[in-house]
Amino acid sequence: MIYVENLKKEFKKTIKDPGLKGSIKSFFKPQNEIITAVKDISFHVPKGEILGFIGPNGAGKSTVIKMLTGILTPTSGRCEINGKIPYKNRKNYVKEIGVVFGQRTQLWWDLALRETYTVLKEIYEVDDESFKTRMAFLNEVLELEDFITNPVRTLSLGQRMRADIAASLLHSPKVLFLDEPTIGLDVVVKDNIRKAIKAINAEKNTTVILTTHDLKDVENLCDRIVMIDKGSKVFDGDISDLKSRFGESRELNFVPENIDIIKTLDYKNEFKLSDDDFELSDNGVEVNVRFNSNKVSVEKMLNYTLSKTHVKDINVTDADIEEIIKGIYRSEVNLDA
Amino acid sequence: MRKVFKIYRPFTHAGVLIAAQYRANFFFFILGDILRCFINYFLWHAVFTSGGEKTFAGFSETDMVVYIFISFLTSVIAYSDGSYAVGEEIRDGNIAMRMIKPIRFDLAFLFQELGERLITVTLIFAPMMLGVEIYKFVVTGVIGFNIVNFILYLFSLILAYLITFYFNVCYGYSAFILKNLWGANFLKDCIVGFLSGGVIPLAFLPPVVAVTLNLLPFASQTYIPVMMYVGMFDVPTIIYSFALQIFWLIFFIILQQIIWNACVKRMSVQGG
Repeated sequence: MIYVENLKKEFKKTIKDPGLKGSIKSFFKPQNEIITAVKDISFHVPKGEILGFIGPNGAGKSTVIKMLTGILTPTSGRCEINGKIPYKNRKNYVKEIGVVFGQRTQLWWDLALRETYTVLKEIYEVDDESFKTRMAFLNEVLELEDFITNPVRTLSLGQRMRADIAASLLHSPKVLFLDEPTIGLDVVVKDNIRKAIKAINAEKNTTVILTTHDLKDVENLCDRIVMIDKGSKVFDGDISDLKSRFGESRELNFVPENIDIIKTLDYKNEFKLSDDDFELSDNGVEVNVRFNSNKVSVEKMLNYTLSKTHVKDINVTDADIEEIIKGIYRSEVNLDA
Repeated sequence: MRKVFKIYRPFTHAGVLIAAQYRANFFFFILGDILRCFINYFLWHAVFTSGGEKTFAGFSETDMVVYIFISFLTSVIAYSDGSYAVGEEIRDGNIAMRMIKPIRFDLAFLFQELGERLITVTLIFAPMMLGVEIYKFVVTGVIGFNIVNFILYLFSLILAYLITFYFNVCYGYSAFILKNLWGANFLKDCIVGFLSGGVIPLAFLPPVVAVTLNLLPFASQTYIPVMMYVGMFDVPTIIYSFALQIFWLIFFIILQQIIWNACVKRMSVQGG
């Protein structure tokens, strides 16, 4: 379905002096600097899969999505979707895909939502009958009925996102790209959107590629994840794989009454932890301990800490996505082996 | 052709709806334009009264008044927001949202703009034309309306609009390089306004300058249609002028396609 091989994107960034004079100067004599946003990424997605595409801000996720959707032309490498190359014959290619960018809208700002769908119907040449059944289905999973007559500019973010997803699915695309579809939404709306994505995937076996910062999205939706950092792929596998390897990481944060006390804490020898399973840092006030809860239980860690120090505040958290990525990034060598 | 129309017609429809949302905006714009038009009228009235001469470079005062109003009408109708609209979409990165649709960028803009300006044109065209003809009748005492000139004018006007549109689209693409077009747009509007004969007839300028300016695309945007209406062109000039307009239209259509293809290859989408 989707083949990506050695995809690479470099941007030429113009260094510009301020003002109109600077603009004109850089117009005639541009000074450039090359930035590599995506280094060398390859992966393959079979039909009907939901692929989570994750990585920290600026990792190159959106750039990859933009290349896959035909907006950007790769510097080198190739990608092929439905047997088509996105940036060649863009008009033909985009008929078969749906795209949602969470931070932008493809809806007409000034039109009633219903009008937007009529416009899209004509653009994609959807016939009346399919349009009807399609709208009925989308209405059901995305609950558009309440606000379909409102102008788009009056919609709330959650409504707009649902409307946008519906707009990208009107023509029953084979592949759906979702770039941060749950950004800035509350828990309930997020949950609804996840359910909708699942229903859409199940209905026509639509392949879905989504990027997100919310690990819950990944857990609930994705069959597989590809993780990238600094433009390179650092992980490719399914969720259970990721969890068993990195999901057991926990963070213990506490504020000791006297920061000097940390010198007396010797977790490593006490629990016989290796460097991969343990990391301690402090900012002069708060102490942060990252540890593998498979190797040492949370209870033991807390008991040991509290027996040695008096704390003003203490908490234990799951490692967030950034933490997992950091973990993977650190053990990159191991993954390759 | 019919398929193109079917696909892009919704853009026109959307354009009409969008224009209807901003009615007040539209009236203020027209009001400002009409005021400027009357200032021009009084200025030339003063010039002709104090000069003592009946004609000026072949223009009588009546001709001049007709020229002022018709050139105003022409520049209102053959006006394009293209460079603002294209530039703005490039600046805020929303151009990406157009690229994920199976549509041609230029045609989508063209049809949407046609819709947005449909109401303007309908509301302003008939009253202005009628006003000008009534003025001519009152001053000269004869009905000077010439149907042939009027039809030539309409054709020329449509070409003028399309030239203006594609010229502006080309110009708008420079936002790929300049990133923000606000200042550059202002400069462009002033220069084009003068070079197209929108401020004074090109015939008033020294012959060498006038001939040169006539060849430039700007004359095709206002001056040529107005001269068709006023009936100051002989038959060879009419044919030559149409050929010139068609040449510039094709030139800009091809140019925007070239610029677009080049820009897409090296494009970076701004903002996320």
